[in-house]
Amino acid sequence: MTIRTLLAVSAFLAATPALAGSAQHAVLARYAAEAKTADPGFTGFSAERGKALFHAKFATGKPDTPSCTTCHTENPKQEGRTRAGKIVPPLALSVKADRYSDFAETEKWFGRNCDSVIGRTCTPVEKGDFISYMITQ
Amino acid sequence: MSEVLTRADCSTILVWDRGVRIFHWGLVAGIVVCGWTGFIAPRNWLNLHLAAGAAVTALVCFRLIWGSTGSTYARFRSFSPSLAAVRAHLAAIAAGRPQHHIGHNPAGALMIYGLLGLLVLLILTGVIALGGALKQGPLAFAVPFAVGWPAREVHEWLAWGLLLLIAGHLCGVVLETLVTRENIVRAMLTGRKRASPAACGNPAKAHPVLAATAFVAGAAGIAAGTIWLSDRPAAGVPGEKLDAAYARECGACHFAFPPSLASAQTWAAVMASLDNHFGENANLDPTQMARMLAWLTANSAERFDTLPANLFRQADPAEPRRITATPAWQRIHRAIPDSVFGSKQVGARGACEACHRDAASGRFDPQSISLPKELR
Ligand code: HEC
Ligand code: HEC
Ligand code: HEC
Repeated sequence: MTIRTLLAVSAFLAATPALAGSAQHAVLARYAAEAKTADPGFTGFSAERGKALFHAKFATGKPDTPSCTTCHTENPKQEGRTRAGKIVPPLALSVKADRYSDFAETEKWFGRNCDSVIGRTCTPVEKGDFISYMITQ
Repeated sequence: MSEVLTRADCSTILVWDRGVRIFHWGLVAGIVVCGWTGFIAPRNWLNLHLAAGAAVTALVCFRLIWGSTGSTYARFRSFSPSLAAVRAHLAAIAAGRPQHHIGHNPAGALMIYGLLGLLVLLILTGVIALGGALKQGPLAFAVPFAVGWPAREVHEWLAWGLLLLIAGHLCGVVLETLVTRENIVRAMLTGRKRASPAACGNPAKAHPVLAATAFVAGAAGIAAGTIWLSDRPAAGVPGEKLDAAYARECGACHFAFPPSLASAQTWAAVMASLDNHFGENANLDPTQMARMLAWLTANSAERFDTLPANLFRQADPAEPRRITATPAWQRIHRAIPDSVFGSKQVGARGACEACHRDAASGRFDPQSISLPKELR
């Protein structure tokens, strides 16, 4: 990590005091570091952008999954449902406390779901934005 | 048997002793329940079918014993089967000179042996089918599906045959009642029939204590043998629990299908296309995928002998990755409307566990079928 990355990460840390030291914070810090590496001008994640990503409809992914809300519903605090009928626990951290606490798990699902919905991998900024939104929910 | 026969009473005599009457009406009840649960009731009533089958078995055993320990007309000796006698009997009716028979008339006698024989075959094929096709009961450890499945077919044909014989029996009863003007249905309730002077002798006495002793000994032997054999592990049934990683990864979006539900070829096709998995990306990291494919292959349908393993290993060429597209799955579930699979409580055809309580075991016993309450 460069000094600037560390600074950006620390800035983020300061912005979300409730998370300091938590597993979610470590996951976010990794995405922040990746974002900084990809774009040295990176200044921080935005829950607003994350919210927009969550609700956006895409035409570039697989036809059955045009949006994150296809499975997760419009309300992150609500249970979702897969296309195969299984319940998906809510994404909002306030409802399910172990969300975004395991980097590999979170990465795996971003990898799958971004490809299904958008037709590409999500950028570190998109992932960080998304989590930033969900931890406020 | 306590009915007292006196010579003064000779206008009617006791023909059907209590043993025969209990057997007769017990059998009627048992066969009605077997027929209802076998042909009409939902599959998950199987236990009632098995209980009724066991009751019929007990009754048949009793009748075989009573055939040599009961009173005169209960004894097989009193109604030996004879085609010549049947021909003479029918000819007499056709000529308008029906003979009056105290016990079974010759056609009736043949019918009794036919019924008893058919019942014995039904019991045997039922136990073989139960063991081979469903991996339950005393023969679950021994009979392969390849034997149990056809036995189930034979069992069904025999049941149709039994219905046919019963129809013939009922016609015979009606005919006999019309021809002899004697209510023989009532005779089977009271036990008494009009007597001809010749029959007014001293009938052979029943030996109820001897019969009961033989019956209890036989029943205890059969029950003990059944329990002892049923205790043996069933052949070809998956025993191991699901691989933990498999249950977690492949159970994230849907029911984690036991590998015994599909062929190794199906699993290979599924695992080779995880990036476009039925319209979604379900990618795994390559080492985990290779390990899981090896586990699926080692536990695929070809390795087991359960009903689903045998039936669902035949994939649908157009959709080789789907268990629910296999011809057998489609046939078994054809009566279930799309609205049930699409309902909130089920969600999809692949949500086996919504309707099959034992889905995770891969057994899919009929007794474990239970649709969500709202959909019943
Ligand atoms: C086809 C259904 C589906 C769609 C569409 C979908 N998801 Fe998911 N998502 C799931 C399932 C299933 C899980 C895993 C179950 C769980 O963790 O509760 C999951 C889990 C996740 C997780 C992991 C959360 C954690 O605990 O770490 C993230 C992050 C996620 N989804 C993000 C997204 C995003 C972003 C989109 C839109 C681009 C999206 N999902 C669209 C089904 C879907
Ligand atoms: C990201 C979600 C997801 C994951 C993870 C997933 N599946 Fe699926 N799977 C689906 C969906 C969606 C369907 C189609 C459901 C439908 O059309 O009813 C499906 C269908 C299937 C079917 C066909 C079911 C049928 O209708 O007969 C099989 C077999 C299957 N999956 C196996 C697997 C295996 C093996 C894994 C683990 C490597 C796995 N799945 C992981 C989403 C997933
Ligand atoms: C909507 C509920 C429902 C779902 C979902 C469902 N089944 Fe069934 N299944 C039934 C019913 C009801 C029967 C009995 C059908 C009959 O009357 O013969 C049955 C029968 C069966 C049988 C035959 C049992 C026997 O011995 O007669 C098998 C095997 C089976 N299902 C396998 C599956 C598998 C595998 C899946 C998932 C891929 C599945 N089912 C999903 C309702 C369901």
